[in-house]
Amino acid sequence: MPSKSLDELEAQVGRTVTTVEDLVVEPGKVEEFARAIKDDNPAFRDEAAAREQGYESIPAPLTFTRTAYFPRYRPDGIGLDHGFDLGFDQSRVVHGEQEYIYEQQIHAGDVLSGKTTLVDVYERDGSRGGTMTFAVLETAYRNADGEHVLTERLTRIELAAQGDDDD
Amino acid sequence: MTDRHERRLTADDVAVGETGPEVVVEELEREDFVRYAGASGDFNPIHYDEPYARDAGNESVFGQGMLTAGFASHMVSDWFGMDRVDRFTIRFQSRVFPGDTIAVTGEITDVEDGDAAAVVTADLEATTDDGTVVLSGETVASIPRE
Repeated sequence: MPSKSLDELEAQVGRTVTTVEDLVVEPGKVEEFARAIKDDNPAFRDEAAAREQGYESIPAPLTFTRTAYFPRYRPDGIGLDHGFDLGFDQSRVVHGEQEYIYEQQIHAGDVLSGKTTLVDVYERDGSRGGTMTFAVLETAYRNADGEHVLTERLTRIELAAQGDDDD
Repeated sequence: MTDRHERRLTADDVAVGETGPEVVVEELEREDFVRYAGASGDFNPIHYDEPYARDAGNESVFGQGMLTAGFASHMVSDWFGMDRVDRFTIRFQSRVFPGDTIAVTGEITDVEDGDAAAVVTADLEATTDDGTVVLSGETVASIPRE
């Protein structure tokens, strides 16, 4: 169980927090990210190759906004819990599900901001006893023109603690 | 531009049961987890600090789920092109450990024909060489008529 009760978590559902500011999609960062996921597509490395493939310029990989976790893009006080007081024990937190809904292609040079809403919290029985707690966080990203480019939906799970079996 | 990155897929080419271009990542190393930490900003020590990972009940460090999701995104991008992908959904099923080889596959499960484009839904799966499913998912893409 988190240090917060389910009631305390549910009270935060629907709240929205600015979680990402001035996320500059730097071309060098795109290349570094592509290398880390072992994607050899030249479009991530070279403007001309990107245009040859029909992109306006160097495209961001589909999961590139994972880089929004860097502190430089986070407003003060926004950590792994996206500014929500979930009380999760970070050593037991796993990433259950991730969904991206793309509205527009993101390119190198874009500057993004994001607002995150806690859309759901719920509990399930753990497979080996105890209680698992789920939090669903939805982040809407906009570009510098205010256009909605991407929605990201993240499910974070706090696994049952060892020794919770007798709960 | 390699063949893999040519973008000639049109609505006429897509059909239920068609499979995507498999992506195989050979023998993951701890270095791969560290590189993804540096590239993504996910510095959870469970992915590179062996004593920390063991204390938390793991046999060793394991890869970021989003690293495996990155391998899956590579397959989807090569298959459809990033700007045609409407939706990409990943469920993390199991951890990936140093030494694992990961294969990502995809298969079209639905095609809805429209005037300008076909809307394609495909199932995605990443498995280790011993057959463990580490990631399952789904993607939806709009493939133009021509």
